[in-house]
Amino acid sequence: MHIFLQLVASGVAVGMIYAAIAFGYQLTFATSKTLNFGQGEALMLGALFGLTLVPFTGYWLMLPLVLVFGFALGALVERLGVRPAVKIKSEYGWIMATIALGIIFKNVAENIWGRDDLKFPSPLPEAALTFGGVRVLPMELLVVAGALLMMLAVELFNRRSIWGKAVVATSNDIDAAGLMGINTRKVITLSYAISAMTAAFAGVLVAPVTLTGATMGSVLALKAFAVAIIGGLESGLGVIVGGLILGVAETLTGFYISTGYKDVPGLILLLLVLAVRPVGLFGKAVIKKV
Amino acid sequence: MRLPVTALAAALACATILAGPARAADPIKIGVSGPFTGGSSSMGVSMRDGVRLAVQEINQKGGVLGRQLQIVERDDEAKNEVGAQVAQELINKEKVVATLGFINTGVALAAQRFYQEAEIPVINNVATGTIITNQFNPPDYDANYVFRTSAYDVLQAGMMADEAITRGFKKIAILADSTNYGQLGREDLEKYLKTKGVTPVTVEKFNIKDVDMTPQLLKSQAAGADVILAYGIGPELGQIANGMAKLGWKVPMITSWPSSMQSFIDIAGPNGNGVTMPQTFIEDKTLPRRKAFLEGYYATYKVSKIPTPVAGAQGYDSVYLLAAAIKQAGGTDGPKIRAALEDLKEKVEGVVTTYDHPFTKTDHNAITRNMVVFGKVQDGRIVYAKDEDAKNAGVVRMKEKASN
Repeated sequence: MHIFLQLVASGVAVGMIYAAIAFGYQLTFATSKTLNFGQGEALMLGALFGLTLVPFTGYWLMLPLVLVFGFALGALVERLGVRPAVKIKSEYGWIMATIALGIIFKNVAENIWGRDDLKFPSPLPEAALTFGGVRVLPMELLVVAGALLMMLAVELFNRRSIWGKAVVATSNDIDAAGLMGINTRKVITLSYAISAMTAAFAGVLVAPVTLTGATMGSVLALKAFAVAIIGGLESGLGVIVGGLILGVAETLTGFYISTGYKDVPGLILLLLVLAVRPVGLFGKAVIKKV
Repeated sequence: MRLPVTALAAALACATILAGPARAADPIKIGVSGPFTGGSSSMGVSMRDGVRLAVQEINQKGGVLGRQLQIVERDDEAKNEVGAQVAQELINKEKVVATLGFINTGVALAAQRFYQEAEIPVINNVATGTIITNQFNPPDYDANYVFRTSAYDVLQAGMMADEAITRGFKKIAILADSTNYGQLGREDLEKYLKTKGVTPVTVEKFNIKDVDMTPQLLKSQAAGADVILAYGIGPELGQIANGMAKLGWKVPMITSWPSSMQSFIDIAGPNGNGVTMPQTFIEDKTLPRRKAFLEGYYATYKVSKIPTPVAGAQGYDSVYLLAAAIKQAGGTDGPKIRAALEDLKEKVEGVVTTYDHPFTKTDHNAITRNMVVFGKVQDGRIVYAKDEDAKNAGVVRMKEKASN
């Protein structure tokens, strides 16, 4: 039982890392039905930018600066990669454009920070805490709490602020929102900016647990994408549940079946969800009018 | 199938010889291939800097055969396909006379067949996969162009297993990464343990960039392991050390040599203290040759320690071995350099050891088990793990004639 709980605890920590990244996919999909496939690179840039700042500002003061950085980065990606495709109502252009920007970001990062895996200084003590025999790193708790807070903040923004309401209106019906006088282009830019901001935040959040480096985003972003599909691209709650399912599935499989098959059940689950409920566990089924 | 390629290579070689005398003062081009960026880069960069240092020294003393050595460096990014590309570029475009390098076993296996076909010698100065020097063994091939100056995996696996057994551990857990390197090393470990009648209590796998080692470690713990033998490279070995600290599980960890990488030391921090690994070279200044090498390295690259000392030392030595072979061959013809390496008359004093006939026709590994010691991580440096090794640091361990 103790082992099971330990596995679940570790799985939850890993799962929340995935969820935090997946959350960003969901934000842009809601408004523009497009995704930033450079989400992993946004995370990586956020983490490396943060790592550069930490010696000057310390961990906590670095956070708001990274948020601003991520926000600007997302707006840039939208302007360069997505807007032209959305303008001509291209179904596919943004896919390659966001991937291309991601690769460019990675190369830039390699040239600035090198391709070594670096250790991100932990803001919390590195000794594990014990809860009834289950050992958890303080940093893992911070990842879970930080990711939940971040999602909560974005949800609150969407429900309470006027800009947030515009985001929700755009995500419900972009044409109607446009007719009502909402500048949907700006809303889409905003959603990209917030999306990359969450990714950059996730980056500095997870960096002390994972390692920091130009390639840190690729594996994480792919897993997070699976999480977004499993949970449903329409739902903030979905990505949390999806992340937890994937994270816990990985650690449990690693222990009870084989560490060689650790990544398999998550992907089987993905295939199952796509076969049975293609919109994801928490997605809304939408009938597309042609 | 192989004939046209060989013929082509021979034609190329002839062309080189014909062109040779007219431009005798041309520099001798030597390829250097390794990961200078990425997770293995502390090995690659240390190796490259060791090579640069040796080349600089040799050139200052007038070069080889009156010609300067010129190194052509290429970053293979630790990727097999990039390594193969680099090999072709170095052979066909840069026309190197030999190549030093390969840090990663997978890259070596993917790239060195191009050298074999072009009849250009390659000295692996870091990669340890056992199969590397056996890939082109006679009689399947006329001659083997692949040499090595690192402690190959069978040696290391044997040492790791013996160390665990002699220290009295009964229940061994093996953790290995899923790359060629990790899985070939795991095979060597299991094979060796079998000859000793020991079955590991558990054998686990992890991927490069894995974030969480909890399942692997819990499995080992649940199986009652009293020691961990880990086969991987710096960053993931560091995650294992950190994962053990997180679980509050303290058993000794014996790894393959890459826990001496800077990335392991940085990532594991205090959790890495006490981890032991086989090493051909420890940073100590007991011998004048080593002292000169270390002081030269520190001064040239403005560091207080070599990021990965073993890679730096082996890289450095590989240049001197190659230079001696070129001198003996009297030219840069590939087959002649190979023949010279296989029967090196000159004793080459390197920093790992003094090489006295390091290679023969059937043995292309310069290092034997008696030349390898155990290193230990201690507060950010690699030191001798055993007092008797530390005491005998000044003794040059020569190759055992009877081995292999």
